[in-house]
Amino acid sequence: MLDHFLVYVNGIRHEVRGGDAFLSLSDYLRRVCSMVGTKVVCSEGDCGACTVLLGRADDDSPRLVYCPVDSCIQFMFQLEGTHVVTIEALGSSSAPSDVQQAMIVCHGSQCGFCTPGFVMAMTGLNEEREALDEADLRSGLAGNLCRCTGYVPILAAAAQCSHSQRGQIAELFPAEPMLAEFRQRRKQAIEIANERDGRRHVVMSPPDLHSALVMRHAHPEATIIAGGTDIGVRINKSNLLPQKIIDLNRVPELESLVVDRDVMRVGARTTWSAVERACETRVPEFHQIVMRFGGPQIRHVGTVGGNLANASPAADSLPFLFAMDAVIELTSVGGSRRVPITEFYSGYKQFDLRPGELIACIEVPLPADHELLRLYKISRRRDLDIASFTAAVRVQLDGEAIQEAAIAFGAVAPTVIRARRTEAFLLGRPFNEDTMRAAGDVAISEISPLSDIRGTADYRRQLTRNILLKFYHESQAAAVPA
Amino acid sequence: MPSLGKPVPHDSAVGHVTGQAPYIDDLPTLAGELCVGFVGSPVAAGRMTRVDTGAALAVPGVVGCFKASDVPGKNSFGLVVVDEPFLADRDVLYVGQPVVVVAATSPAALATARQKVRIECQESEPILDLTESIRRQKFLGPRRRIARGDVAANLNTAPHRLDGVFTTGGQEHFYLESQAAIAYPGEQGQMVVHSSTQNPTEIQAVVAEMLGIGQHEVVCICKRMGGAFGGKESQAAIPAMMAALVAHKTGRPARVVYSKDDDMRVTGKRHAYRCEWEAGFDDAGRIQAVRIAFYSNGGASTDLSLAIMERTLLHADNCYFLPYVELTGQVCFTNLPSNTAFRGFGGPQAMATIENILESIAEHLKIDAFDVRQRNLYGGANSSSSTPKNLHSEDQERIVTPYGQRVEQNHLPEIFATLAAQSQYRRRRVEVAHFNVSSPLFVRGLAMTGVKFGISFTTKFLNQGNALVNVFTDGTIQVSTGATEMGQGVNVKIRQLVADEFGVDLHRVVVMPTSTEKNNNTSPTAASAGTDLNGAAALRACRTIKRRLRRFAALRLADSQAGLAPSSGHIEFRNDQVFDRRRPSEQIPFSQLCDEARRERIDLGARGFYATPGVDFNRETGQGTPFFYFTQGAAVAEVQIDRFTGELTVPRVDLLIDIGRSINPGVDRGQIVGGFIQGLGWVTTEALVYDARGNLLTHSPTTYKIPAVTDVPEVFHVATFDSRNRVPTVYRSKAVGEPPLMLAISVWAAAKNALSYVAPGTPNDLQLPATGEEILRCLTALGAKRCPLQSCSPAAPLDSHALNS
Repeated sequence: MLDHFLVYVNGIRHEVRGGDAFLSLSDYLRRVCSMVGTKVVCSEGDCGACTVLLGRADDDSPRLVYCPVDSCIQFMFQLEGTHVVTIEALGSSSAPSDVQQAMIVCHGSQCGFCTPGFVMAMTGLNEEREALDEADLRSGLAGNLCRCTGYVPILAAAAQCSHSQRGQIAELFPAEPMLAEFRQRRKQAIEIANERDGRRHVVMSPPDLHSALVMRHAHPEATIIAGGTDIGVRINKSNLLPQKIIDLNRVPELESLVVDRDVMRVGARTTWSAVERACETRVPEFHQIVMRFGGPQIRHVGTVGGNLANASPAADSLPFLFAMDAVIELTSVGGSRRVPITEFYSGYKQFDLRPGELIACIEVPLPADHELLRLYKISRRRDLDIASFTAAVRVQLDGEAIQEAAIAFGAVAPTVIRARRTEAFLLGRPFNEDTMRAAGDVAISEISPLSDIRGTADYRRQLTRNILLKFYHESQAAAVPA
Repeated sequence: MPSLGKPVPHDSAVGHVTGQAPYIDDLPTLAGELCVGFVGSPVAAGRMTRVDTGAALAVPGVVGCFKASDVPGKNSFGLVVVDEPFLADRDVLYVGQPVVVVAATSPAALATARQKVRIECQESEPILDLTESIRRQKFLGPRRRIARGDVAANLNTAPHRLDGVFTTGGQEHFYLESQAAIAYPGEQGQMVVHSSTQNPTEIQAVVAEMLGIGQHEVVCICKRMGGAFGGKESQAAIPAMMAALVAHKTGRPARVVYSKDDDMRVTGKRHAYRCEWEAGFDDAGRIQAVRIAFYSNGGASTDLSLAIMERTLLHADNCYFLPYVELTGQVCFTNLPSNTAFRGFGGPQAMATIENILESIAEHLKIDAFDVRQRNLYGGANSSSSTPKNLHSEDQERIVTPYGQRVEQNHLPEIFATLAAQSQYRRRRVEVAHFNVSSPLFVRGLAMTGVKFGISFTTKFLNQGNALVNVFTDGTIQVSTGATEMGQGVNVKIRQLVADEFGVDLHRVVVMPTSTEKNNNTSPTAASAGTDLNGAAALRACRTIKRRLRRFAALRLADSQAGLAPSSGHIEFRNDQVFDRRRPSEQIPFSQLCDEARRERIDLGARGFYATPGVDFNRETGQGTPFFYFTQGAAVAEVQIDRFTGELTVPRVDLLIDIGRSINPGVDRGQIVGGFIQGLGWVTTEALVYDARGNLLTHSPTTYKIPAVTDVPEVFHVATFDSRNRVPTVYRSKAVGEPPLMLAISVWAAAKNALSYVAPGTPNDLQLPATGEEILRCLTALGAKRCPLQSCSPAAPLDSHALNS
């Protein structure tokens, strides 16, 4: 059992102990390391100002894979075996990096407060992919907000260095010495306890699934953290650190992703960016929704299991999973069981996870070629926003008649729901405007929307009523060759 | 090499991209420094019955909790009317209003202590809504009025009349660096305050008054801000006072940095408006008479609301001649944080109102709104057949504003015509109409709106600036002015002006942090006038030094044997050299001349002072010449709306703006694009949501949505209008900070235009912001949900929008 986390910061070895283990990465950088280049604005992963690169081991390959993450909602206890690269590690005033130079000459900074975050996000983009086009740059920078420039000069800077050589970070920081050390510790559990304000906090970091389940069994009250993109926000905003934390970041068995011809099996700790890559060609409709899941920084750490367990009725992934009749696999020291996702949630943030259980994976049947599937996310802003309304509509036709329909709505009830009465109404009816309009009327009788920050109940009713008509017209438009 | 007119990078660009440019919270912590925060009112209105800090004081690391009774000097302040408490004493006026200032040795102790302060109140019913405040006549300040002619009679005789109520929403500044200050206690009660402020002089004054000391005992310094947009013109005061109070009470350095949530909850925003309007117009859409009553949501204290309302009245005409007009403005009290300056300063609300009126007139008459606007432009219709005959002769030119100032150097007709051609407005109008009859999924809209923004503070005395220029013996130069750098690039512009004035390379000039120690009695960096005022003052200081150096150089370069008599008038400063024009081969390096000048006991430092000439406005009569000049422009936006969800996208924007001769085209382009996108947020996605008790629910970026990179129009053409600026500004440049924001009203107008295609002939009452929800409300009201295609079967004729184009 180790009593500290090993994290490298800009190539420097840090043994993180005691209270430091419970700090956010941004606080650790700014307060413990006095590295103030990383800026903090929102403390909730919604602006990207605090973006740093997180280098993680890629299976057994001899390299670290770097991707941008929001350091304000990453906590030190999640970072065992990683290399954090900050703005301080890039170029200097006398020798700026390609990205920095492009930002200077393109007038990419005005007030400058978002700038280090953008520089890191762009550097990360260049690490991930070569030859980025305008669309890649836009989606790649969608996790960073700027209030001054109107983004145009930033996009110009990004375009200017979009053909930069990959692997610049690896060149600056040879991976092998770090990896060698990380590997030695990979099989060891880590536990750290700390007292703060008279409260004792413990974090446990199991190195494999078995020890995770044993800990989970022994501490059923512990908070489970993987990506931490929701819990991290709660910790920051309420000044309330959970007293017991089990961190799953080092459990390899939970990270898996298999896409077969008709089913996708995703481990609970798989990140959304991995899902994003896997879906791009096989399930493009889901891919376009995943691309609007938070920003890239969130998708690089946020996990599939986390989205399920956060149990938000507005969760981006759930309508698809509901409409596809996905099945969740739950596991504990006593064994595993499978629960259809449509039966998993029982009320607002209530779900069928028993003490001692972890979400292991989710199995998602994929749409057949002849099925019509559309996913909808309506939000105030297109990207980096939480939905006001979501829907998934899957229809299979037999000639003109509707043979099968699966309809899920989100953000209109305490949980995501399947609109069973609407589905029943549609069966056997001709697929036309009148049917879908009438179905909209049935659908609004199945929802119980609230008025909140993201829209009034009436707005959500209008959307519920209209979305089936929209689905119909989109299907018609898609059927007509352009 | 001259640098003026070149896109020199921002003064701090290198610091920004390397993370080396420090903001307030990046300054190193001094030994003993305290973390400062506050606890605010739990209710929007009421009386405090008990404030208990006992449990907070017991938290280890907590050094003090301070209340209004601990304030040694004045506990209230205000730029115009002194009606804003620093710390609430007895009555509370809005949720979060600071009551207790907490100081602790660590952020963790501060966070814990803040949760342990108990404030109990006897809650009363808050006023949160403008209509409620109007009904109860709860107003701040007097009603303002600007009027011309017999409006009632001319409304009655107009061939057409329309009226309506138009509301515009508030807007959060969302500067990325939240409010922040550090106070360092000095000797004998003196205080040095580093503040993220647009207005160091104001911080100096309020801290001095709060501590009960003289202004000469307080120094306020601002190196840079991580954004401001008006939000740090007056509202940096409270955090600065908090830090100063703690530093004064404890004798230790004190740092306050608001969290983004606290900042959004307790600081003011752009004023929401309610505008009641009536317009009379002829068959061609030419306005004959218009009456608009503006009501702004001022929040709990006056702040800058009166000046903002004044600017609203001065911009209700925007680019359009209003023959008979009555404009009234009233600031309303509500139990919300005091609303404040925000880029545009009342102008956006006014312009959106008149653009809504013109869009409504066009819909009513089934004329393309572009034609309606063009016919109403200042100086735009020389055939004044419809201009009433009883107006003065100069009004026949349609060139005089409702407040009596002539629109000189009026480029509006040319800008409108040029932009219409460049953006292919007419062709695209036809395309939009065709698209709308054939698309079952989307409906598009197109609109051109204009901007004529008056430059100068409407409060005359603020139109001044001073600068200090110090030249050193190695030929390097430090410039200090009252201008504060918030990202807008004022420092690099002043640096360019000074370098070129001395004919030296840019690297020889550094712009120093803004400090009240060097520049006293300065105006806030606001009203887009930062460079106009401070750049002009800096140039004057440079010229004073040059005059002395010239005299010296003339003697130094004179050659009696060669017949070259000393002549100051022939001395040139160029390429880091100084020479006599009559014998350019003989040059002295600028650095050498400076070194020699010092040895000859010549003063190499000077102050410069500038006051804008000719501006004056009488707010009682509503008449005068408030503006030195106008920045003018126009934009064409095309939008696409989802017929079923109300989702809006902006595929294309073209804009054309006259910014005179640009000191720095890179910086100015940044202001134009950045301002536009900020305005895009105001008119589309940025909506403030409060609960029934006055709590702001949208207090972080999770719920308050400023534009993201994917909201930038795919096609975005930005062009500047080529004109010879005859106004004697620095380098003949024009102010650029605020005007572009209002070009984004074109996006809103295009959304309204799109709705006019949904059920032709049925008016829509789209309000601002046009969120997806607001657009869907209008679509639903238009009956679009029932029969989205009824009005657009391909067999139907093109509607009159297209036919009139």
